[in-house]
Amino acid sequence: MRAAAGLALCAALFAIAAPARAAADKALGEYLASECTSCHQLSGRSTGGIPAIIGWPEPQFVAVLESYGRKERDNQVMQAIVARLSHDDMAALAAYFGALKPKP
Amino acid sequence: MKLTRRDLAAGSGALLAASTLAAPAVLGQAKPRVVVVGGGPGGATAAKYIAKEGNDAITVTLVEENETYQTCFHSNLYIGGFKSYDEIVHRYDALASAYGIALVRARATQIDRDKREVVLADGQRLAYDRLVLSPGIDLKYDSVPGWSKDAEELMPHGWKPGRQTQLIKQKLDAVPDGGVIVMIAPPNPYRCPPGPYERASMFAHVLTQTGRKQAKIIILDPKESFSKQGVFQPDWERRYGAMIEWLGPKVHDGIKSVDPRTGTVVTGFESYENCAFVNVIPAQMAGAIARDAGLAPAGGYCAIDPATMKSTADASIFVLGDACNAGDMPKSAFSANSQAKVAAMIVRGELANGRTFPARYVNTCWSLVDTDDAIKVGGRYEPKEGRIAATDTFISQPGESDEIRRQTQAENLAWYAAICADMFT
Repeated sequence: MRAAAGLALCAALFAIAAPARAAADKALGEYLASECTSCHQLSGRSTGGIPAIIGWPEPQFVAVLESYGRKERDNQVMQAIVARLSHDDMAALAAYFGALKPKP
Repeated sequence: MKLTRRDLAAGSGALLAASTLAAPAVLGQAKPRVVVVGGGPGGATAAKYIAKEGNDAITVTLVEENETYQTCFHSNLYIGGFKSYDEIVHRYDALASAYGIALVRARATQIDRDKREVVLADGQRLAYDRLVLSPGIDLKYDSVPGWSKDAEELMPHGWKPGRQTQLIKQKLDAVPDGGVIVMIAPPNPYRCPPGPYERASMFAHVLTQTGRKQAKIIILDPKESFSKQGVFQPDWERRYGAMIEWLGPKVHDGIKSVDPRTGTVVTGFESYENCAFVNVIPAQMAGAIARDAGLAPAGGYCAIDPATMKSTADASIFVLGDACNAGDMPKSAFSANSQAKVAAMIVRGELANGRTFPARYVNTCWSLVDTDDAIKVGGRYEPKEGRIAATDTFISQPGESDEIRRQTQAENLAWYAAICADMFT
């Protein structure tokens, strides 16, 4: 009984947590992310000139991309990248990179 | 052919015996087989993304002749003294240990398209269900009169990795003050469009730093214009005064001949005698294995389907990087790396029920002009009307602030670290 109650609780918590992620397409995020990893290391390592982009809160990740889209941030590479990203693309990327943990 | 411990540990039957290597893709074959030829930015990236964390849905074999990989990208930073040689050399070990890719250290000499087999230099055959071909370029040794393969020690090209890259640095270091360097630039299309001009910048940087300010660098170009010309030329003047002189075909009237023994270059307009160093970067074409397989026109590059990176001549073969005609995308490591990810997605879609998405490509080429002074050009690309077409492009501008140039170089260095991690770790 106790185990079943625990499971029910987990399910309830999951149901609460789920909607934020439900919109993001994991497979799409993984494919789109492969475009980013030419410059941003999947391990989260950064040598200074290009920031690490893993483990960010998803809204922040999307907000930064959108600011390149509005050309409020001035990096030409990122402006060109964002020019072809839909909102769903950005959400998928935010979910994919947001779930990654730094590797030692 | 060298077997790694991983190959044996993984019990990858394909590598254990020649008879097994030749087994056709039928009856009881558990997994589809992908062979990747060439361990550069196209091949190494494709192998890794197809193997995908070694989840074993596909057997991936990477055929590469060399034990290590020297990047051509950033070889100009080595020539300019900004990087050691060791910093531009990388190993393949992690592709085997982390992704379960079988590394075959051998030269692939031929493709038997009817049998779907890659033939190695020792005669062994590797059967494939899909082949990823990323052999890079071959040089056209007959494209500069008087120059040849035998002359590449005296007049090095430095357009392939290894000894040739090191020779360029040795020759540069030996140039006396007041000496003349002649660079013969290649005609389009060729590997790394801004590469010759970044290299000239690095020559000037080294000569200036070592007190050889009377030396001269003359670029004889068969092209009317070149990559980032509008930025390079004002920057050369600002940084190096009159040290670098670029001459287009209307000015030099054609390169008539070179004499490697005397260090002479003759153009329609002038003869340059007793040159301290002549750097001949010849015309280029797809690597022989692709041409010999009938995937490229004579002396040219392989036509590909822009939505998949498949050869238009053979739907089981993908051609990546410098060996293919990628439309608006330049021949660069970044391009090859980007194309490899599209190919990997398609391969996994066909062989491992992976989901597929519309192809999208990206490229940026950074060039170092002087210390903390870099420029860039790049864009995004998509399939359009049968070719890969640019959708958004950008380029550095002359007169940018020192801070922007410093940031651009920091980005260049960070990109190098990232793409190498993406290829090899």
